[in-house]
Amino acid sequence: MSPTARIERDNAWPEISFEERIGTAEFRIHEKAHITVNGDSCRGCTTRECVVACPANLFVPTSDGGILFNYENCFECGTCYLVCNKEGAISWTYPEGGYGIVFHRT
Amino acid sequence: MTAPAHDFDADIIVVGAGPAGSCAAIAAARAGKSVVLVERGPFPGSKNMYGGVVYPRILDELIPSWWETMPVQRWVVKRSTMLLSDTGALNVDFRANAWGAPPYNGATAYRPDFDNWLANHAVEAGARLVCSTTVTGLLRDSTGRIQGVSTDRPDGDLRAPIVIACDGVNSFLAKESGLYPHTDASNFTLGVKETLALPKHVIDERFGVRDNQGVDIEILGGTSGVNGGGFIYTNLDTVALGVVLKLPKLAAQQKRPEQIIAELKRHPAVAPLIEGAEVKEYSAHVIPEAGLEMMPTMVADGMLVAGDAAALCLAAGIWLEGVNFAMASGMYAGQAAAEAITKNDVSSRGLSGYTDRLEKTFVLRDHKKLRKVPHLVLSDRVQHKYPAFVAGVVERVFRVDNPHPKPGVRRIVREERKKAGIGLLDLLRDGWTGMRGFG
Amino acid sequence: MTITVCIKWVLPNRDGDERFAGISLADQAALETGLRVAEALNESCTVITVGPAAAETSLRDALACGAHDVLRVDAPADTDSAETARALATYCEHSRLVVCGDYSSDRGSGSVPALVAARLGRGQALGLIDVQIVGETLSVVRRLDGGRRERLSVTGPAVLSVEGSVARLRRASLRATLSANDAIIDVVTNDASGAIRRTPEAAPLRPYRPRARVVPSPTGSSALDRVRQITDTSSSKGHGETVVLEPGDAANRILESLHTWGYVQES
Repeated sequence: MSPTARIERDNAWPEISFEERIGTAEFRIHEKAHITVNGDSCRGCTTRECVVACPANLFVPTSDGGILFNYENCFECGTCYLVCNKEGAISWTYPEGGYGIVFHRT
Repeated sequence: MTAPAHDFDADIIVVGAGPAGSCAAIAAARAGKSVVLVERGPFPGSKNMYGGVVYPRILDELIPSWWETMPVQRWVVKRSTMLLSDTGALNVDFRANAWGAPPYNGATAYRPDFDNWLANHAVEAGARLVCSTTVTGLLRDSTGRIQGVSTDRPDGDLRAPIVIACDGVNSFLAKESGLYPHTDASNFTLGVKETLALPKHVIDERFGVRDNQGVDIEILGGTSGVNGGGFIYTNLDTVALGVVLKLPKLAAQQKRPEQIIAELKRHPAVAPLIEGAEVKEYSAHVIPEAGLEMMPTMVADGMLVAGDAAALCLAAGIWLEGVNFAMASGMYAGQAAAEAITKNDVSSRGLSGYTDRLEKTFVLRDHKKLRKVPHLVLSDRVQHKYPAFVAGVVERVFRVDNPHPKPGVRRIVREERKKAGIGLLDLLRDGWTGMRGFG
Repeated sequence: MTITVCIKWVLPNRDGDERFAGISLADQAALETGLRVAEALNESCTVITVGPAAAETSLRDALACGAHDVLRVDAPADTDSAETARALATYCEHSRLVVCGDYSSDRGSGSVPALVAARLGRGQALGLIDVQIVGETLSVVRRLDGGRRERLSVTGPAVLSVEGSVARLRRASLRATLSANDAIIDVVTNDASGAIRRTPEAAPLRPYRPRARVVPSPTGSSALDRVRQITDTSSSKGHGETVVLEPGDAANRILESLHTWGYVQES
């Protein structure tokens, strides 16, 4: 159990996993990824800013020192490329028109 | 409406149907120009999130009696500033019931509702709105002059002598045109928020309001050691709770954004307000936080930049405003672009009516006046030492420690200042900067 | 002879919010199939929906994707399957092929395509998972129970329904999207007569911008006279006029005046 989940249960309000949390937002997923990550740059990276900062938790470190990334549940916020300190490791555009995050009550 | 010149699809292309884009389109279309408003979301507002409060006074110029039709959640009648230490909180409240009646002041609203409403006004004014279309770049002629934009649709080039970039904080257009010299992560914060469902009567009771009265709470401290702040805003039957986190600081530690929100929710001063609430929607976006320091050049030949794309967002502690700056800059951009078309000069000189308007109005005057405040508010001392210091002083002032007599306030301040590790000179310096900054 | 595609615009059931309304994946596949068949057979493609005015957004999308003609049969959003099929059949009578999605996004019974086929007395091939165009014939694959498949060949007039996986709807071009926004959608009332009521051609709308009224400079020997001339409201100064005309002439006169005053613009 993640620390977050434990904290929330201690305070007696409904526990919410990251999957449930991200499930509250609507994503219209396009088959083409709008994020690309240059794996070679990531293997040399020790700081891994994207892993901790991405609010959608899209970047996951792999056992061989690389980064596994998803694009499906992206908020299109821009955090990942702004915090990344490896020039050109993350290239990022907006998804195709009509696809991606659709906010309802923000 | 005048027909656009030969080879052009429109006089003006506005990229992005957020508050800046829609106001630009309204202003330009009302001046009789042909306008195409391009939005990448399936409807205007679908890509947009913010803390939750909008100050629409500037709309008096574009939409008289806007409050009669605007999709409002609640009218803000109570503003609080909350200073959080680990276990304590100092709350400063101000209430003005007059803000709950016309002509109103601030309101909570959902952006997918608000932006959609504003874009409908642009369409009514004669602008042509095309959604689900992502702009991919600028079109230029052989001499390098901007001639419109390319989009990701088939046959997707759209030609016009003027492009107004209202494409948000990531503004790929402003970057492509070289108006943004550098993108420094320390100029940005990440805003993450939860829209939390609670029954209306529960919100009314917990926040001390009724009917469509709302509350705006800004929080200093409580962000788990990451420089930033928090906010709580009341909607009709939800509460928006979130944190704003300075990007480099967030990336340099180990707590993820949702964990920082969870810890804020657990704070003894916050937990009772939202107990039992269910997360309805989780959202996040980057905010241009550094004000004047990070602003791009606003005008180029054939191009204007407005709203978040121009970093026109005021994050000055007690003032957190963005949508009003977007609407005003958009409106001025639309007016200046229409003038440039009329006098047939779309060079940066012909478009300089835009910067003139920005300089003369609150848009740049507020930013100039408060230029030092964003940095002060996000500085390490204000963030990590002052909340505990102030809460400590107030705690000891109010603590009854009989049989000991009450200590003098001056002594408490000195002792708490030392305990918090704040040097006297630093305190005086920050006080001076604050006094001058808020002038 | 045309290819007719039937689509259903559906409000999301949670809050009935039109911003989140649309057609199902299966209906999108039906539209793409209809467009492809029409292109291959050199026919025109008509798209029909039975629904309220808000459903016209999906017809505009269809126009932008390349439909030649669209038609809305005016009916409430909750019109039942039998009534929908009756209305659709009225306007599909002369088409060579009718293509539907096999379910709408509100997940109804999927019975409309079969009911349309019954009303038209046509052959039907429902629940298709593949449609290939071979010359003048369609070679289609139908899903059966127990993982079995049935391959059919469609030549004559027929009704098809397709699953969402059959084809991905093309992306509309920018220009077509812009012009579809301004298109006038044909609407028919949902009654047995079947008469098509064309919506009147509307003049382009524009914001109210009255022309400047020319006020001649006042003449008079004294300043007081000149001021009086401008501000005096006791005489009519020619504004307001009563004319008696035949209805046709009167209408023309009104239009002419509205035009002079700047209320309407010549299209």
